[in-house]
Amino acid sequence: MELKTLAIDLGEFKTLEEGTQPLQEPSAAGWYIDPKTGERIFYDPNTHKFYTMAGGVYIPLGYMNPAPKQVTLAPGEKLKITMSFKYAGPAIASAVCYYSIGVYGLFGFDEKMVGQNSKSIPQYVTPTQVTDSYTFTLPTNVGNDWDDIYCKIYGGSPGVPQTLFGYEQALLIVGKDPTISEFTIADFAKV
Amino acid sequence: MALDLVLTLMALEPKTFNAGDKVRVTVSFKYVIGVNTTVKLLAGPYYTNLFGKHMVDPCVGQADVPLVAASMPTAGSATIDFLLIPKAQGGIDNGTYGLRVWVEDTNAVAEQDNVIIVTGNAGSGDMFTAMMPMLMMLMMLGMVMPMMQGLGGEETE
Repeated sequence: MELKTLAIDLGEFKTLEEGTQPLQEPSAAGWYIDPKTGERIFYDPNTHKFYTMAGGVYIPLGYMNPAPKQVTLAPGEKLKITMSFKYAGPAIASAVCYYSIGVYGLFGFDEKMVGQNSKSIPQYVTPTQVTDSYTFTLPTNVGNDWDDIYCKIYGGSPGVPQTLFGYEQALLIVGKDPTISEFTIADFAKV
Repeated sequence: MALDLVLTLMALEPKTFNAGDKVRVTVSFKYVIGVNTTVKLLAGPYYTNLFGKHMVDPCVGQADVPLVAASMPTAGSATIDFLLIPKAQGGIDNGTYGLRVWVEDTNAVAEQDNVIIVTGNAGSGDMFTAMMPMLMMLMMLGMVMPMMQGLGGEETE
């Protein structure tokens, strides 16, 4: 059976304990944790600025994004999600790489399937690309609306800031109900 | 923001049928589905009035269409027959109708106005039958009016 893949780039981050180096600009828009204060901050690559609060209210987490492509999946098929990020810092033991397929809506992400790996990262002096992946097998009762995915990395020793990234409508689930398109009348005649 | 709409005319020519004829419709489509299944295809004539489009229910036909599991958009086609039941048997009257085909429990619908011309219903051209409701009303008025006049006359005396 064909293995389908979807890649997610978490951008670049450092361990929480690092406070001596100047803060580098992330490569992607989203929420990050300030390694100096531990507070959540939002980075806008258009203005090259970080944001914390607006009008006393935190801006909603912006970790979900439009999917760059849509992967068609049927029950029983496998989906491999690969996350990648750039890391520079000390070696990290047992960070958690977490993956989920579910339904993203007004009330957040409803996780339908989850998976995780324990990840140890060696010491890197310069920002280095690190990857991890997890393979899901879609169950027979998969819902047609299970079309969103997200992944995150957190924990470990020393700890890494929780970093999330997800895609909306990344999957086209072909379940037990058909999806019909280009439906046209080709001809009609007396018989 | 620009909104691009592409309207495609369906290339169906109007055809004339006699009441009692069987009509076969061929449809084409693309589909994806995770498991082998069977869907119900329906087709029939419809007429349009002030309140919208209405199927001529007695003439709607249906057929089962098997779909083989396909995770990528796959071309499919199917045929469905329906009978133009004569008006005398509670079916369709002479006139011009649209043709609609759809798949039950999905959003797959195709239709085109004014492509089915039905003729041959015996008695549909009968003037007396067509005028019956009006004649009945006139007869009732004819019965009621003298009574009303009679009542009015008593009051004046």
